[in-house]
Amino acid sequence: MHDSFISFLAENLQLFLTYTGVYNATPGHFIMIAIGLLFIFLAIRYEFEPMLLIPIGFGILIGNIPFKDAGLQIGIYEQGSVLNILYQGVTSGWYPPLIFLGIGAMTDFSALISNPKLMLVGAAAQFGIFGAYTIALQMGFEPNQAGAIGIIGGADGPTAIFLSSKLAPELMGAIAISAYSYMALVPIIQPPFMKLFTTKKERLIRMRPPRVVSSTEKIIFPIIGLLLTCFLVPSGLPLLGMLFFGNLLKESGVTRRLAETARGPLIDTITILLGVTVGASTQATQFLTFNSIKIFGLGALSFVIATSAGVLFVKFFNIFLKTGNKINPLIGNAGVSAVPDSARISQVVGLRYDPTNYLLMHAMGPNVAGVIGSAVAAGILLGFLG
Amino acid sequence: MNINRICRKTCRVTVAAIALMIVVTVAARAQRTTSMRINEALVINDDNFLDDYGKKSGWLELYNTSANVVNVAGCFLTDDINDPKKYPIPKGDVLTRVSPRQHVLFWVDSMAWHGTFHVNFSFKPDRANFIAFFDSDGKTLIDSVTIPAGQQSDVSYGRLVDGGDQWVSFTKVTPSTNNKTLDSNERIDNFKSNDGVGVGMTVTAMCVVFLGLIMLYCVFKFVAYLAILLTTKRAKKASDDVQLSGEISGEVLAAISAALYELDEDVHDIERTILTIQKVRRNYSPWSSKIYTLREAPRK
Repeated sequence: MHDSFISFLAENLQLFLTYTGVYNATPGHFIMIAIGLLFIFLAIRYEFEPMLLIPIGFGILIGNIPFKDAGLQIGIYEQGSVLNILYQGVTSGWYPPLIFLGIGAMTDFSALISNPKLMLVGAAAQFGIFGAYTIALQMGFEPNQAGAIGIIGGADGPTAIFLSSKLAPELMGAIAISAYSYMALVPIIQPPFMKLFTTKKERLIRMRPPRVVSSTEKIIFPIIGLLLTCFLVPSGLPLLGMLFFGNLLKESGVTRRLAETARGPLIDTITILLGVTVGASTQATQFLTFNSIKIFGLGALSFVIATSAGVLFVKFFNIFLKTGNKINPLIGNAGVSAVPDSARISQVVGLRYDPTNYLLMHAMGPNVAGVIGSAVAAGILLGFLG
Repeated sequence: MNINRICRKTCRVTVAAIALMIVVTVAARAQRTTSMRINEALVINDDNFLDDYGKKSGWLELYNTSANVVNVAGCFLTDDINDPKKYPIPKGDVLTRVSPRQHVLFWVDSMAWHGTFHVNFSFKPDRANFIAFFDSDGKTLIDSVTIPAGQQSDVSYGRLVDGGDQWVSFTKVTPSTNNKTLDSNERIDNFKSNDGVGVGMTVTAMCVVFLGLIMLYCVFKFVAYLAILLTTKRAKKASDDVQLSGEISGEVLAAISAALYELDEDVHDIERTILTIQKVRRNYSPWSSKIYTLREAPRK
């Protein structure tokens, strides 16, 4: 009796050991945990997109705690688990439009309305998406996968998640992590290419101060913006609809409470859920593949192409503009829609060459145009390849 | 006057409400039974699909063309245009809910007592067969088809592509499945075979992105032009009004001059900005009285 009880305890202890993380750990888990810790370190030490990198980094830790697959509904890929339920906002694609609602409610489109030609700079930067698409095809990805990878070049996390959840759900983790990582690394990626493609004289161009935009124009913008873009690309409706709706809440002036909720508690809640679940979806077994490495490479390339295309387009555009109306090419990088980081880079680089030349307001124009442009591009890719 | 205004306002509200109801109703109908189509039918079943009772009968298939679940319960199937309510599809059966882009099969065997999916009429093999699907009001015809006479045994008549317009004969029948088997995404295959490099996609998509933003540019260029024109006009009108209003009183001019002088010369005296909070001693206040916060002592 005594012996059997001890053996019973020993068996149970042995069984318990097989359930522990230590027993189930693989080198892949440790690699992913190291990546998660790196994200957290970058966010805290250098303040690289901390709102995103902390939830994603911690999500990576959560998703890479090894456990025995015993149907206990723990993991994010186990149907009915808490993480799985929260992850449905990503897989079904309803987190990104809600994020766009918040972005719309916090974005001031005045810079763009006062100088509408900056919209074209936002359009030019979308070359990053299609450059990466072309290269991804050459690397052997299917067209739908290449489209989902290419959208990283739009530098818009919610758009990347939305599109990849529709076109290539199997690559969504790698695409989301790649998009957010490079958005955080915008201050490192963009400046060398901005300098490479501009002369010192061009960097000193002073732009006219933007005119004051009336509230009527600001109210008209989301309505016209929605009608024009969505009639052209209806597949961009979930993102563009919510973006412009959020902006109307802000600009109408009579829905202040709704606008504050959209740009405050709502977007914060969704950002937390999105970040943690995307991070947790990068389980080593699913994430550490050769494709993920290729996606990371393509992501970096797409950012470089987008930045270069934006800067070069401004130079080209300047040929047709009169003296005094010329655009400083340093705002070309802001066409990628990493709002407002890429606009801030324009300002920082500009100030290095002329400490009295403030480019931030001008750069916000292509920056918000980039948000619209990348959502339109996502709609086109979804329409063609969905 | 007031009554007129109220009437006008009421009319406007009513029209808006009706318009909203129409929009909502149309939107709701689009998600409902109107999305169903008669998709395929087999008139002569000699050596084909068996029903749950092991019988071989003719069948017809309905297809849900929408991206939403549609419940066909309460709708009607008929082979007689003058009797649209011939077979009411029973309510209360969960199987009448048809998933998006999915099918539901009815046995045309005149044996309605066999269950929900057995209708009370059957096909006539020797002549053309008319079938119609009516909405739950028994009046709205949603879809109908006349299957030509001379149908062959075990050859069905159906739409080439599910929900499409073209009808053909199928030697390989497809009850409750797609008429055209989809084993790949046609659009992706097209891109693979015709645009392997991705140039076509890049050119097309960038053109659309530029077109969208150029359209926005044009509209807002025009809006900006109007806004500037309007502002200039208003400013001009305001200055004209000042000139037209004639003489401004001496007091007003004096006040304006004094204000400008103070602003330019910075002669406005600086007032004391010391905030003093003086403690006021008060012996009694009902707010601080402990009497009200104490419990009554128990009586012995």
